[in-house]
Amino acid sequence: MAEQFLEIRNLNKSFGGLLASNDVSLTMHRREIVGLIGPNGAGKTTLLRLIMGILRPDSGAIHYKGKDICGRKTWDIVNMGIASTFQNMRPFRRLPIIANVMVSCLSPRAMTRGEWVKRVEAKAMDALEFAGISDMALEKASTLSQGDLKRLEIARAIATEPELLLLDEPFGGLSPAETDLMAKSIKRLHKGGRFGRLHSEGPAMIIVEHKLQQLMKIVDRIIVLNFGTLIADGAPDEVVKNPEVIEAYFGEGGI
Amino acid sequence: MGLIWFQIKRVFTLFRSEVLVLPSRVAVLIFVAALVLLPLFSQDPYLLRILILTSVFAIFAASWDLLSGFTGQMNFGHALFFGVAAYTSGLINVHFKIPHFFTIPIGALAAVLTGLIIGIPCLRLRHTYLALTTLAFPLILMGVVFAIPDVTGGELGVSGLDRLSGSRLRDYYITTILMLLLSFTMWKITDSKTGIILHAIREDELACRTAGINTTRYKLMAFCLSGFFAGIAGGLYAHIMRTVGPSTLEVSMSFQVIIWSIFGGVASIYGPIAGVFILFPLAEVLRVVPEWRMLIFALLVLLTLLFMPEGIIPWIRDKIEKQCPRCKIRSVAIRKTCRVCTADLD
Ligand SMILES: Nc1ncnc2c1ncn2[C@@H]1O[C@H](COP(=O)(O)OP(=O)(O)OP(=O)(O)O)[C@@H](O)[C@H]1O
Ligand SMILES: [Mg+2]
Repeated sequence: MAEQFLEIRNLNKSFGGLLASNDVSLTMHRREIVGLIGPNGAGKTTLLRLIMGILRPDSGAIHYKGKDICGRKTWDIVNMGIASTFQNMRPFRRLPIIANVMVSCLSPRAMTRGEWVKRVEAKAMDALEFAGISDMALEKASTLSQGDLKRLEIARAIATEPELLLLDEPFGGLSPAETDLMAKSIKRLHKGGRFGRLHSEGPAMIIVEHKLQQLMKIVDRIIVLNFGTLIADGAPDEVVKNPEVIEAYFGEGGI
Repeated sequence: MGLIWFQIKRVFTLFRSEVLVLPSRVAVLIFVAALVLLPLFSQDPYLLRILILTSVFAIFAASWDLLSGFTGQMNFGHALFFGVAAYTSGLINVHFKIPHFFTIPIGALAAVLTGLIIGIPCLRLRHTYLALTTLAFPLILMGVVFAIPDVTGGELGVSGLDRLSGSRLRDYYITTILMLLLSFTMWKITDSKTGIILHAIREDELACRTAGINTTRYKLMAFCLSGFFAGIAGGLYAHIMRTVGPSTLEVSMSFQVIIWSIFGGVASIYGPIAGVFILFPLAEVLRVVPEWRMLIFALLVLLTLLFMPEGIIPWIRDKIEKQCPRCKIRSVAIRKTCRVCTADLD
């Protein structure tokens, strides 16, 4: 059997009595964009945090490119090629935006890749350019609007040149027009190639998002979580017709 | 000949365009020149002694800033590094007759090792817990000092250390120049790419990890570097006082460094140094009114922090310099436009 790009097996995580991840199993291949949806508190962020090594699972396994990454340090996982954004943005508030991205560019992964190894600042600038906030490069991160903070999160994540990108609500707080732009950017990133000095591997992605309509346009597949349990996994149009999903998602007055 | 002339001219132009344009840089220049030239005007032993100690404590305060101000690892027991280095220097100087040329670096290395040892348990701690834990370390060591008086001299400490040099003037120049060099080094560290990472760790450690940075390594590095510079200060102190006692480990020693730094302005290196250069001599001057000394001192610090919460140096700096809203480069406050990009200031 061919080795899977990402393979999650029987992942369990509970907070006190609450099962935030209940026996979750899924696989992904290298070029896939997967949408991860579910009602509030379904355990989407928890799943991303488990992959990133921010949380330790109670049991189960996560294999990335054939290697077990469970229990590894977050920075090791990032340097293996997984990057993520935070749902509730966590910028380095008192640092200029460019410095925020330079931190990612200073990670061992970013430093050893590409021919412009030394030009950290220029590379950070190109990541900002891609995210569309390069004109504010010298402003303090604390002065940014919600939408711009989202972009900063993306810039920071792509600056490590990941092969797997985990986006937690990239459209959150964006206006419809901004959402379209962001969706285009994500598509462009997924195609891969060069953006100035920044190289895109054309990363596989897991995108957590509540704005289903926009999400459907960019994903190849959708996974649905409810109370920590994976209840559906399939093509977008199939999944939205799934009665169990409708029950879980729309039954709670969602959308 | 022409080449030399060209070089001199180049340096001069650079000096004019880079140093003279900003009041803060001129201030640093005047400060350095004043320290170096002071003995030409006065060699009063009391004055020199105060300035020698001021320089030593300036190194100490800057080293605290490196760890706590920049990296955000709030250290309430910074005296530990100072004391470890002072005792190490003192003991090996007195018992093994090792000259101070070696004892001070060895003391600093002992402080680095201490940084590593306390850094590891401190890795998981944050904020209040970290502060309280670090507060305990020098007290534990003080307990050890009292427990083995045969080695450490107990309450009396170790005495009879070699002088730093034969004369007070030479002591003055050694400490002043070391202070300038080490401060410059620390400032360079914080101004480098490593400095950005240290800042980022203070702002949000988790976000820093998800950016692929091994925060453990950088935090330990901060502990060790800070220990090294504080250790040099401790070793110098030992040889200047020619005696090392438990007072080097006291809580007041740890707190003083925090007061100096916060007063001067943290996360800047130069702030804490300025803080020491203002507050330490002031405390000496206030000795003439011993009953009022603590009160005046406390009130002054309190008022400063109330009205200049960032510390005195950033406050002054904001008054005499303005930051360009466009390119973020600073210009003299009296200018109407930025000196580089000519955008309107304010
Ligand atoms: N660190 C934690 N400690 C305790 N409980 C937690 C923790 N993190 C998450 N939870 C709980 O786990 C459940 C899943 O949370 P999670 O953040 O993964 O949901 P989510 O699907 O991302 O929701 P949302 O759509 O609101 O972002 C929630 O009930 C939450 O309260
Ligand atoms: Mg979430």
